Amino acid sequence: MIAVNYAATRAPDSRARAAAGAGVLGLLRRLDWILLAALAAVVAYGLWAISGITRYAIPGDSDYFVLRQAVFVTAGVAGLVGALLVDPALYRRYKRPIYLGTTGLMLLVILVAGATRGSRRWIDVGFFQFQPSEFGKLFFVLALAGFLADRGKRVTDSRTVFEAVGLGFVPILLVFVQPDFGTALVYAAALAAVLFVACARWLHLAVLAAVAVVGAAAILWFLPAAGIQVLKPYQADRLTAFADPGRDPGGTTYNVNQSITAVGAGGLRGRGVDGATQTNLAYLPEHATDFAFASLAEQRGFAGVGILLCLYLLVLWRGIRIVSVARDAFCAIVAGAIVFALLFQIFVNVGMTMGIAPITGIPLPFVSVGGSSMISNLLAMGVLQAIHARGRGNARRS
Amino acid sequence: MPGDARVEEPYRLTPQLALRIAILGTVVLGAFAILFLRLWSLQVLAGPKYLHAAQNNQLRTVRVQAPRGAIVDRDGDVLVGTTAGYSVQLWPADLPTEGRYQLLRRLSARLGVPVGWMAKQIAKRKNDPLTPVVVKRGIHQDQVRYLYERQAEFPGVRVAQSYLREYPNQALAAHVLGHVGEASKRQLERNPRLAPGDEVGQGGIEAVYDEVLRGRAGGARLRVDSLGRPRSDIVLSDQPHAGYALRLTIDTDLQRAAEQALRFGIAAAHRNKQWYANGGTIVALDPRNGQVLAMASNPTYKPSVYVGRKDAKKLLPLLSEKHARAENFPAVNRAIQGVYAPGSTFKPVTALAAMEQHLIGPYDPLPCTPTYIRYKQPFNNWDPYRNEPMTLATALARSCDTYFYELGYRFYKLPPEYGHPLQDWAARMGFGQRTGIDVGTEESGLLPTPEWRRARYRGKDFSELDRIWKPGYSIQMAIGQGELQVTPMQMTRFYALLANGGKLVTPHLVLQAEQPGDNGAPAIVRQTFTPPAPKPTGIDPAALRVVQQGMLLATHYPLGTAAGVFDSFPVAIAGKTGTAEKWSHEHRRLLDQAWWCGYGPFDNPEIAVCAVIENGGHGGDAAAPAALKVFEEYFGRRGGPIAQTESD
Repeated sequence: MIAVNYAATRAPDSRARAAAGAGVLGLLRRLDWILLAALAAVVAYGLWAISGITRYAIPGDSDYFVLRQAVFVTAGVAGLVGALLVDPALYRRYKRPIYLGTTGLMLLVILVAGATRGSRRWIDVGFFQFQPSEFGKLFFVLALAGFLADRGKRVTDSRTVFEAVGLGFVPILLVFVQPDFGTALVYAAALAAVLFVACARWLHLAVLAAVAVVGAAAILWFLPAAGIQVLKPYQADRLTAFADPGRDPGGTTYNVNQSITAVGAGGLRGRGVDGATQTNLAYLPEHATDFAFASLAEQRGFAGVGILLCLYLLVLWRGIRIVSVARDAFCAIVAGAIVFALLFQIFVNVGMTMGIAPITGIPLPFVSVGGSSMISNLLAMGVLQAIHARGRGNARRS
Repeated sequence: MPGDARVEEPYRLTPQLALRIAILGTVVLGAFAILFLRLWSLQVLAGPKYLHAAQNNQLRTVRVQAPRGAIVDRDGDVLVGTTAGYSVQLWPADLPTEGRYQLLRRLSARLGVPVGWMAKQIAKRKNDPLTPVVVKRGIHQDQVRYLYERQAEFPGVRVAQSYLREYPNQALAAHVLGHVGEASKRQLERNPRLAPGDEVGQGGIEAVYDEVLRGRAGGARLRVDSLGRPRSDIVLSDQPHAGYALRLTIDTDLQRAAEQALRFGIAAAHRNKQWYANGGTIVALDPRNGQVLAMASNPTYKPSVYVGRKDAKKLLPLLSEKHARAENFPAVNRAIQGVYAPGSTFKPVTALAAMEQHLIGPYDPLPCTPTYIRYKQPFNNWDPYRNEPMTLATALARSCDTYFYELGYRFYKLPPEYGHPLQDWAARMGFGQRTGIDVGTEESGLLPTPEWRRARYRGKDFSELDRIWKPGYSIQMAIGQGELQVTPMQMTRFYALLANGGKLVTPHLVLQAEQPGDNGAPAIVRQTFTPPAPKPTGIDPAALRVVQQGMLLATHYPLGTAAGVFDSFPVAIAGKTGTAEKWSHEHRRLLDQAWWCGYGPFDNPEIAVCAVIENGGHGGDAAAPAALKVFEEYFGRRGGPIAQTESD
């Protein structure tokens, strides 16, 4: 039966096309409508937030960023629909080209992209700056999940784990040297999630965690003490600054202090768009992108960001549920990694604005201004929906 | 088909995976719990604190300068005023980063301020973007309009109102008034109430009475963004208090007359072929209370060169040693900072001291000969044709040197237990010490004594012969020569003492501080400055009368050294000429410094005047006619034509 299924996807003949046509309607019925609604609410809420945050960003054109963002949302929704139509098994089959393509694209970024803000994360494509590492997140998860799902029960072998880590390490390193430290962290989190959901052994996971801790300590403290700078000084400063916000308030901790002030000043109800001085007078840096949450917290208060966090929670809950109804191991791993990566980004970004996570430049999913992030996150949601639509619960029903 | 990884068993939710999904769910809930707790603590529990911090973030206080008080003369005529002018400021935070150099270039071309200077000032304000750099004060109306019309081309450049010092009488009393300039680093350190960019007095009255004149700067608040760019109008939060006006003892008309008299005296010296005459000073005091009625010093300068559009060329003679020398040091206030040998104007001091010591009786005759010889050394009289006995009054009138050489020798011959009474009496009459005038740095002059000589010529560069006090020193000092040095102010004070019956006054320039009344209401006196009361010196009135008589003879007796100048003047003036020889390093020869000091009216003195014309030749030729001009202005009467008299 599985073989038939594979045959159907491998050689789409007229019969399969008819099935697919029927499948579109079927798919619609088998969507996770709660997730879709929650997602729509998050995206709409994010647009509304951005309209407030960027109202005074460009004098005389208060809607500039919202309109741009709306265009990205449209593209992202198209991507979501597209991803929904693709059977996830296809990704598993083409995991090698996906992996090589993703890695190659990141190499390309390093080679050809112009220097922007001291880093090379973007490829300028006219209308917007295409940021491959954002899309790479999803492909990275797909490729790794394919690799581990293919190993089946051998995932408990230390060799498999070792290979998976080795495979994951190449793109992480490439993103890291762009340098995009935050996204590299997201990759690492996704790698951890992939291994976790693939049911790698606890011992292996513990060893990996220990290695990660030792590695982080080495990068931040031991190697610099020995004269080897792995991180750029500003990156290291940002990472350690959140632990001691009183240090050097004009310099390293300026951003985080201004951000905490903005969040705190929002209070229960917020200061409104016009009253949000931290945002409007630009004390809050990057308030449309990295610090969008702080800006929203200042303008809309605890009530406003509370709603956003609850919507996120709803999305994550539905995502976890999809892991449990996935059709096969591959789908479960992909869903688990997508959910965990999303959680990781939300937590690090929101935590950073409140001084409980290091400042790493991770955008806030579905809110921060930026096309690559919005489109890739919606794509990932599309994959999640595709997994749900072809999941076990739905299969039984159909 | 175990072993073939590609063929899977039918997928099911293993307990292992279920556990891990549960863990994942727990992690999500835990993470959100942390976020919510932190959010609650920041926004709800500590919200007011951060709200306050955010509000303070954006408010900045800027300094609002107070208008500086005016300086007026004794009749209320304005000597220094304050006008509102325009200044060009650079706000570093508003300057564009791209094209900044081009902007400064354009501004420089318009205002004539070097680009390099502006760039340096901007670099200095890097950490303080709210204190603008004042590029230029007192810019012209045309430039104000130019900048207003092209504001878009000059981002970060602003035209602001500022207060400027204004001098309606140009150079008049420049040395008395001083000038105003931006506070130096040291001034800022010494006075915590000053802020960078504040203007403070830098000399003369402006510096000494700076606290009174400056007033108190106020504050204003404005909202700024994170780069310090103003984002609201300035709202006054702390009213600035204007400085008080100062009323001086100076009389504008008399001051002007004194300055013209100096130029007249220098011209007179030139007419007498004293070509090196190039400066001088005139001081006029009220002998009754020490009020300075006029204090002129030549060459002078316009204090306005320090205001607004500064012209380096005009400032050079005031700031650089080399250029100052070329213009004969215009910044020096010769009345209190110039030291001169007093010459014969010192003879009344010798006369009084000799009478007090009973070295001579007022009517004891002494021979006045062309030459006086002691220890085989000849001392010449200035007048080689005189050979007759003289009493003290006549010797003063004729300024007989040989008469006073003898008195100097008698001082020298006094036994050691008497000390050196000539110097003691001179010190009692205010020589060798500062007069205590309330303006500027003052020289104390030099009253040489045997002890001073021993200390001065200490060390192996000098021999014992240099250190001992020789008779020639006493003989020279008796006629105001040798190493004796006085300031014209000390000398005027001494003649005030002769006029007021032996009391030493403290010269002073400021009467009171006044707060200008609103809308033409009379000014309110806030502070009165009273100098120490005139100090009696204990001089025998009879001796004083003899000296006064001698000086009246000097201006009226046919052979008096200044009779040709003062005899025809309707008010009785008494005074003494002086001609002090001074070695000029510049001209490599001895040059005569012309002196005249005196007072009037003789019976009831109201004004004492000293005039010095540097390198002006004989006192009767250059200094006395200049002094007469001051009396003419003071009494409002004209003297007759000046007759040529022989004088020292």
